[in-house]
Amino acid sequence: MNTFYDANIVLIQATFVGILLALSVQVPLRMGVFSFAGAGSYGIGAYAAANLVIRQDFPALPTLVLSGVVAALVGLALGLVIYRLNGLYLAMATVAFDLTVGVIAVNGGEWTGGANGLFGVLTDLTLPIIVVVVLACVVGVAITEHGRTGRRVDAVREDPELAASMGINVRRYRLLAFVASGFLGGVAGAMNVLARTTIGPADVGFGLVILALTMIIVGGALSWKGAVIGALLFTWLPEALTLVGEWQELVYGFIVLLAGIFLPRGLHGLYVDGRRGVAARRRRSRLARVERQMAGEIDSDAEAEPVAVDERVGS
Amino acid sequence: MQEIIGALTLGSIYLLFALGMSIVWGSIGILNFAHGAIFMFSAFICHQILKSYEAPFVVVALLGMLVGSAMSVLMQVLVFEQILKRSTSERSADVRILIGGIGAGIIPLAIAEHITKNQAFGLERSSFDIHVFEVADLRITNIQIITLACAGVLAVAIGTWLNRSRQGLALRSIGVDAEVASMMGINRARLATVTMAFAGALAGLAGVLLTYQLGALTPDSGDILLVKAFACVILGGLGSTLGVVTGCFMLAAAETFVLTQTSGMWVEAIAFGLIFVVLLVRPVGLFGRQEVRRV
Repeated sequence: MNTFYDANIVLIQATFVGILLALSVQVPLRMGVFSFAGAGSYGIGAYAAANLVIRQDFPALPTLVLSGVVAALVGLALGLVIYRLNGLYLAMATVAFDLTVGVIAVNGGEWTGGANGLFGVLTDLTLPIIVVVVLACVVGVAITEHGRTGRRVDAVREDPELAASMGINVRRYRLLAFVASGFLGGVAGAMNVLARTTIGPADVGFGLVILALTMIIVGGALSWKGAVIGALLFTWLPEALTLVGEWQELVYGFIVLLAGIFLPRGLHGLYVDGRRGVAARRRRSRLARVERQMAGEIDSDAEAEPVAVDERVGS
Repeated sequence: MQEIIGALTLGSIYLLFALGMSIVWGSIGILNFAHGAIFMFSAFICHQILKSYEAPFVVVALLGMLVGSAMSVLMQVLVFEQILKRSTSERSADVRILIGGIGAGIIPLAIAEHITKNQAFGLERSSFDIHVFEVADLRITNIQIITLACAGVLAVAIGTWLNRSRQGLALRSIGVDAEVASMMGINRARLATVTMAFAGALAGLAGVLLTYQLGALTPDSGDILLVKAFACVILGGLGSTLGVVTGCFMLAAAETFVLTQTSGMWVEAIAFGLIFVVLLVRPVGLFGRQEVRRV
């Protein structure tokens, strides 16, 4: 285990960063807010963390949290400006936000280190800190998927007008999506800087949007499990496919394209559908057996199983 | 004065690129995220072919248009039609079309980046020399004149076609209400393919012209242009040819102004800032029509 850990420390850290990045794009999507601002928040969090550590000598955990808060505040400001937009307009406005962050990174002078970026961001970051922070974020996201909150979020996504007529404050949920996306993206960026100790404009570009999208489209867009599946897959897949090597981008393109066409709910959606299908078949066969029993075709000593099967499968 | 020529040529390139995007988006409702990749890849294919054959300018330009429209039609048939067929609601289709476009756009980009090793490529071997004309104190190259002429003629032709011809009317009616349009006997799928082919040809032409003008093109130039074209379209207002023309030249003028007045590092941010301002102040754009939605 230890040798595995030592050999793959970079990939392990990248997986956790990937989970947060994927969540930062997924959470707004799940609330029906078509925002890619998570990638910009990633950049903001990354540079905030680098400055906190280099200038103020902050330890790892406060840096992560504070960077997340900074990015969340920026996310809130962005949300207040553009939450009224819809669909593609919102998507493109957030892409513009991401690219603006990239331009600022190049032009930020000593705060961003210009085209060279910032170096020597050294802290006491350890794997347990990473795991605890990511776990806290994932649990926080998972809570919003169940119970009343989960149903409200679903309603806001599927039909904002209907949700509003049921007394749900749609505006608050949409703003919340920006704040949550900002925080998750900011923590992801900060974590990446602390793990790598450097940050530059090349690390905060449009490629992040594509990476995050790839993860959640293939993993599944409607559950945190999808984000985790996607992050695991796309962090370790390049390692497994050394054969693909320099054609990695091309393979990603095909995967996103095919998933976009054929697999709108991702691998996780496929799994849920599969389980539903199996459950439905089992239910039918049980029903048939009970019917035959009642018709007296089968000896009465055969145990009658309950007909009612819980139809709800955890999503 | 010299700056004005520069701004006009830049605006013409934006216009050629944004016109196709705007027509497709405004009529059949598809925001093609691969439009930038089509633009870049058309010029790239010309570059590859010019490596082994020499060709005059007109042939290269036609080749670029051909590649662009072929890629665009492929996108429509293999990606967007498939997604529309499988989508239940308009909103989920929007999301999937965007994602499909992003995915499809990565593919040509990856191929070009791999072959060029991320370096800029040009159209060196074409038998076309760039002349510089000097009128009074102004310098203008022949490729700039061609670009200006292409953009001017095509914009006027497209605007007239959309507003005067029956097919233009049909296309606009799809943009207003696709369902009613199909009841009036408009063949949406066929018209969509034609429109996509046309938009792709414009993107291909823009790619070839810009490569001649700059001497070289980097593989990732298409993505930046895509966001700029988006800024032009929403500035002018979706669905208005005059709007797109205005938007493109306003953006080009603003960029040229910043480029000449400052150190120029912030030029890239203008388009992004513009998107925010327009969406805040006047979301329908300068010439856009108000969309009426009933719940």
